[in-house]
Amino acid sequence: MTVKTLLLAGGTLLVSASAASASGFQVNLGGQKNIGMGGVGVGLSLDQAAMFYNPGALAMVRENGVQFGVNAALARISFRGDNGDPQRSLQNGIVTPFNFYAGFGPKDAKYKFGVAVYTPYGNKVKYADGWEGRYALTEINLESVYVQPTFSYAITPQLSVGAGLTILAYGSVNLQKDLPLPTGPGHIELDGKTKTQFGFNAGVFFKPSEKMSVGISYRSQIDAKVESGKITYTGLPTGASANIINRSFTATNFAATLPLPAVASIGVGIMPTDKLTIGLDASLTFWSQYRTLDFNFSGNNGNATATALPGENTDGRVGGTSATSNFSTSKRYYQDAVAFRLGGQYKVSDKLTVRAGAAYDLTAVRDGYITPETPDANRLGLSTGLSYQITDHLGVDGSFLFEALLKRTQTQQDLLNVGTTDRVAGTYRTNAYVPGIGLHYKF
Amino acid sequence: MKLFIKRSAPVLGLLGLGLAGCQPDIEAPAASAGSANFSSYIAVGNSLTAGYSDGGLYREGQLSSYPSILASQFAQVGGGSFVQPLFTEAQSNGSGYLRLTGFTAAGSPITAPVTTSLAVRGGTAAAPLYTQFLDPVNNLGVPGIRMSDINTAGYGSTQGNPYFERITPAASAGQTYLQRVQATVASLKPTFFTEWLGNNDVLGYATAGGAASSITPATTFTANTKLVLDALIAGGAKGVVATIPDVTGIPFFTTVGPSFRATLALSNVPSAAPFIYTTGTLAPSATPGANARVVGKLSDIRDASGTGALLLTLTSSPYVSLYGRPGGKYWRDFYRQATGAAPTGPVFSGFLLGIGVTDTTQAFGQSAANPFPSTLVLDVAEQKATVDATNAFNTTLTTEASTRGLAVFDANVFFKSVAISGYATNAANNTAGYLSGNLFSLDGVHPTPRGYAVIANEMLRVINVKYGSSFSGVNANNYRGVVFPQ
Repeated sequence: MTVKTLLLAGGTLLVSASAASASGFQVNLGGQKNIGMGGVGVGLSLDQAAMFYNPGALAMVRENGVQFGVNAALARISFRGDNGDPQRSLQNGIVTPFNFYAGFGPKDAKYKFGVAVYTPYGNKVKYADGWEGRYALTEINLESVYVQPTFSYAITPQLSVGAGLTILAYGSVNLQKDLPLPTGPGHIELDGKTKTQFGFNAGVFFKPSEKMSVGISYRSQIDAKVESGKITYTGLPTGASANIINRSFTATNFAATLPLPAVASIGVGIMPTDKLTIGLDASLTFWSQYRTLDFNFSGNNGNATATALPGENTDGRVGGTSATSNFSTSKRYYQDAVAFRLGGQYKVSDKLTVRAGAAYDLTAVRDGYITPETPDANRLGLSTGLSYQITDHLGVDGSFLFEALLKRTQTQQDLLNVGTTDRVAGTYRTNAYVPGIGLHYKF
Repeated sequence: MKLFIKRSAPVLGLLGLGLAGCQPDIEAPAASAGSANFSSYIAVGNSLTAGYSDGGLYREGQLSSYPSILASQFAQVGGGSFVQPLFTEAQSNGSGYLRLTGFTAAGSPITAPVTTSLAVRGGTAAAPLYTQFLDPVNNLGVPGIRMSDINTAGYGSTQGNPYFERITPAASAGQTYLQRVQATVASLKPTFFTEWLGNNDVLGYATAGGAASSITPATTFTANTKLVLDALIAGGAKGVVATIPDVTGIPFFTTVGPSFRATLALSNVPSAAPFIYTTGTLAPSATPGANARVVGKLSDIRDASGTGALLLTLTSSPYVSLYGRPGGKYWRDFYRQATGAAPTGPVFSGFLLGIGVTDTTQAFGQSAANPFPSTLVLDVAEQKATVDATNAFNTTLTTEASTRGLAVFDANVFFKSVAISGYATNAANNTAGYLSGNLFSLDGVHPTPRGYAVIANEMLRVINVKYGSSFSGVNANNYRGVVFPQ
């Protein structure tokens, strides 16, 4: 199994999750066992997924192993506009965040190394045709795949450390919206692939007794950069108004940067008996790095105040308004977001383990700044899962996660107050359902 | 590995679909009436209330008039039927209107009058009469009416206002507009009303460049405001009174000047070049100086950045390009329009001399002998007269409304803010700009359906605040702006 074939495998799936499992467009689906336990893992050394949750814990994982998990995330977003229109729904689609880990170390050695492939950020949303926010967004598909070589070392039998090189090996963004043209709605599609970028993660794991463990971990920010994305317009006029309108849409390429923010976590594991494990995590995602979404265009993209004819509508058309036509900026002003997770597993027999957990994630998005691409809100997650050991080496892990995002409303006045009228006023409510399955092979 | 993904993904998907059948529900916000009663609503006003757009009154504009939108909202809380004097489908183009057919190579709009499916039943080309609608109506919007007209007997006769005439039975042709309002209050027993009169008391003067029409005296305006409001609340109705937007901010005055300045700048015409125009009334006047020449500079014309004081009217659009060239096109057009006679011969020459145009072979707008006409320029004094009158009228409207416990929609403040920062509705930007601003129609004065929807929403906001009701308004993006041909 090479990284290349893994990426190909990833490419055949849509590697993203809509509104799944953490604030903003973060995806906290690192391992099937952890998902079944409310997403805890920083203070535990369950399996190879430690590379994602806390690389410091990898050296404490007893066996070598390979594991793979895949989830089917289904988000159901409902929207009701500020002006009494009927409720709108998302066009339903499934996205499949996945995780793969392979961890090895010589028997009784103090170190372990491994490679992880996972999807830490992603977002896919497609709204119903003609919905109220069509001029803000019709659909978005944001994908990212991290590849992470990892090394972990047990300094003492109680204390281990670990670090990984996080590589944004694959990233893509596809953003589409309708254009409010005076000839009738047009459409614009921005599509780009990100450059390969590097970051790191690191963690410390301390297990003073058989009954208890603690861990801290950190994953650095990576900026997803698109340098020359492609712009496609449809529905521009071809007749009498072509000259007057189309001169505003000469851009064919764009550049943009999206921060994939850093995460710091702390976790505690409690093992009251041989059979029972309880985990408790708190994590902080540094979303405040996401200030504005800026696009640099290769030409005109909507009329700008600098180039418009007198009296002409200086609508920035994509992502907000600005004074120059080949640049657009849209306010995000995210805030750092904390999440709390609690979960446990119980070993019913040598073959069967059952799990349950809950999580509460505070939103990254302030009031008045909610955008259709990430209709974020405080969210409650409930999960359950099980593992069945088919042979001594091979086991299967199942998980199911339900998330309810609290109903969230922003009015036209809210938008006017903070100057974010490039989005839509109304009420969002989202439920997400994420069944997942994985295989693990230990040796 | 791939096989595993291939096999498991559909299974997971199906499992998820089964589990995820339930879409979260967001309950619809319920409209409520608050302390007001919306069961019977009437609207009193002028062209804005009638739904006038693109220089004419036609069915589409009527159907998206702000009273019609308000009535549809009131219907959610027990509002009754709201009858408008609609033109029929067969005569849907009503009085006729302007439509946009394309653009010149330079990007200037080309408009053409719509002349089919009209509702003209007689009269003359200059003063047509329209197909009548004699059922009782809730929308009493009469295009062209001034606050000063409400006591004019015979205003609904064939010699009066054709839009009032078409809703006035011949038997009561002597009825004034105020009497019609009183009769409607008595018969329909409105529980709620909107009142938006007064725009034409300054508009006609302003759009004529201060050269024709007149501004209503403040005393008349105040007296008539009291009369019409008292008539409306006679049966205990509650309502909204709208103020008059400052017309110097509408596209009719903000379009041609800036584009003219930009064109000249592109052709390297120095902004210090002379701009000679007349001020005051156009007609030959016994009053010395009534049609005085002003020797100014091009830089006196307000440009896109807002420097310069002079405003050029939208009607000056065909003539600004003649600046600096010999010729008397404007005067010939004016004479033909005013008299119906051909602009030739000694009578026409006499007319020119009478208004002080002594030599049309001189450069137009650059020579004292061939000045730019007063009718196309709203100069500083005229702007001041317009704005002062608007402010005085608005003080009257606000005071009289408050005295009577009525809500006030300050359209002046609202449109000022739109002119400065635009008004985005669900991520579509709207501005006070001509053509592409979405809010103002091709005549540069009257709103588009989008503009009327925005006005209705703002009125509902005021109503919600004053009467504790909760109306959600309409999605303005469902209403069109100026539609460009493909």
